[in-house]
Amino acid sequence: MTFLSDIWYVAWRELVKFFRSKVRVTVTLIQPLLWLGLMGNVLQGFAKAPYVQWMLGTKSYLAFMTPGIILMTVLFGGVFSGISIIWDRRIGYLEKMMAAPISRGAIPLGKMLAAAIQGGIQVLIIVLIATALGVRFAAGPAGVLLIILIAMVFSTILSGFSLAMAVRIKTQETLMALVNFLTMPLMFTSNALFPRAAMPSWLSAIARVNPVTHAVAPIRELTLHGWNWGAMYIGIAVIVGLALGMALFAQWMFHRATVE
Amino acid sequence: MNAAVEVENLVKVYKGGVRAVDGISFSIKEREIFGFLGPNGAGKSTTIKCVIGLLRPTSGTIRVLGADVRRDPGVVKRSIGYAAQETAVDDRLTGWENLYLQGRFYHLSRAEIRRRGEEVLKLFGLWERRNDTADTYSGGMLKRLDIACALIHRPKILFLDEPTLGLDVQTRKTIWEYIEALRAEHEMTIFLTTHYMEEADVLSDRVAIIDRGRIVALDRPGALKAAIGGDLITVRFSSGDGLEPVLAALRDLPGVREVKLAPDGIYRIVVERDGDRLIPRIVRLAGEHGIGIHSIRLKRPTLDDVYLHYTGREIREAEGSREEHIRTRVMSWRIRR
Ligand SMILES: Nc1ncnc2c1ncn2[C@@H]1O[C@H](COP(=O)(O)OP(=O)(O)OP(=O)(O)O)[C@@H](O)[C@H]1O
Ligand SMILES: [Mg+2]
Repeated sequence: MTFLSDIWYVAWRELVKFFRSKVRVTVTLIQPLLWLGLMGNVLQGFAKAPYVQWMLGTKSYLAFMTPGIILMTVLFGGVFSGISIIWDRRIGYLEKMMAAPISRGAIPLGKMLAAAIQGGIQVLIIVLIATALGVRFAAGPAGVLLIILIAMVFSTILSGFSLAMAVRIKTQETLMALVNFLTMPLMFTSNALFPRAAMPSWLSAIARVNPVTHAVAPIRELTLHGWNWGAMYIGIAVIVGLALGMALFAQWMFHRATVE
Repeated sequence: MNAAVEVENLVKVYKGGVRAVDGISFSIKEREIFGFLGPNGAGKSTTIKCVIGLLRPTSGTIRVLGADVRRDPGVVKRSIGYAAQETAVDDRLTGWENLYLQGRFYHLSRAEIRRRGEEVLKLFGLWERRNDTADTYSGGMLKRLDIACALIHRPKILFLDEPTLGLDVQTRKTIWEYIEALRAEHEMTIFLTTHYMEEADVLSDRVAIIDRGRIVALDRPGALKAAIGGDLITVRFSSGDGLEPVLAALRDLPGVREVKLAPDGIYRIVVERDGDRLIPRIVRLAGEHGIGIHSIRLKRPTLDDVYLHYTGREIREAEGSREEHIRTRVMSWRIRR
């Protein structure tokens, strides 16, 4: 019980600060608008060709890329967990939390929860904007809920990773560099924004094992075609497994580093 | 009386090989204000962090209210409050939110936090500003908020690591008053570190002087000062002639230990204590003998004097040993990161 309360209050702090920062909230709102509005519209031209429609599996490039944008957003959002813990260490807040009788594991888990909740909110906004731009989510409102859930779970992979790295890497700049070094290629070697059918074979091979591709699969299925568990369960299992693994990894790193 | 904190042969060697604490033993009585006095890098913060369970000691035993810190960290953590040397306030949160969060980390109920929070914020004069984010607070307010946070769960022992570092004299005195009020009204045991002699002197019942990881002296402040020779009054007379009768009378004054002439022509009068009260009498005595006084000064023992006495050197000699050099580098490296 106290463990859950500890996790919640670690997350609560992040969320209060998130909503207080007008810049961050504004960016959260505008970023998906830019991505979807600009990129979706520009590339819509492609999707006129029947061949491209066959590759995308839909007539609307916007609908195709919406799952990609969802994952991209939570992917980049996860980085901030690591940054926040570096910041906490610098201002001595980490030590303050550890001097309190909270369980140490609650600190990384709380930060992951905060990132997931922020991510969930962002995804909801993306869904709303996409709907306004004409995307129809095939699986309906319950499907949208599952999309949000999958994205939240996915975000913990990244936040867990950045937290684990932040234990070792003690400056924000280095952490940013490392995480971006990994997230960018992760994004562009997946089928989040471009169909695998359009990729050269080597890239397609990478994309097949890329976790982002696995996360895209169920979300895209729900967006374009509806409830089709057969096409979703592998992706969901991979994502949940990776998220659990990362959560454990982050906890383990954290324990190792804080018991001196 | 029971011991609130008992430390025996505490040694802490950091990973890089720095021997920050080198065999320290002391015990703090309940309701005592115990001062830890020492220069930068002496090992004050390291000792505190070991005692409250933030660092694992290399060797030695620590008991807090009878509980072993390594074995029952939860018990210890619940019964103590800690305000670190670096003020750890989240400045994007309001004063109240900082306090609320701290209360939650100590598993207090909402009602308890509200009641207790109001009490400490009022005590520390922050109640009116509780709904402002902490980035609008002054340095002194931040420090007060930090200490208030450490009090939210009514700890039995409060650990304050350099509570007045970098604050102006006025704010420093206010914080002293709060600390004294805490002990008087809440029967709290307080462990504070400082490198201000005056702070240790005014606040502490007992003071341990720590240098290079060792305790070099431990006693009541008065006793420590007496041991290094009491107050020093320096007098320059208007003329050097016919002084003998005055000097003889001075030597007879109560509390005067010795009167001697320094090469610069200034007389040094070493007194046991309360040198300030002696000054008018000295002036009067000289007047009675028809001798004019050019200037008169009172010099109280300073941290340097105490150090000089107990360690045989100034607090920080310019040409430090190699080890010291390394220490300083570790410190600055730590700060840069
Ligand atoms: N995390 C660390 N790793 C390695 N060495 C450390 C670490 N923390 C402190 N030290 C070293 O241990 C020694 C004691 O440091 P400590 O912070 O305990 O001193 P202090 O008495 O609190 O000094 P100050 O008045 O500057 O706060 C110093 O030489 C410091 O460089
Ligand atoms: Mg210190």
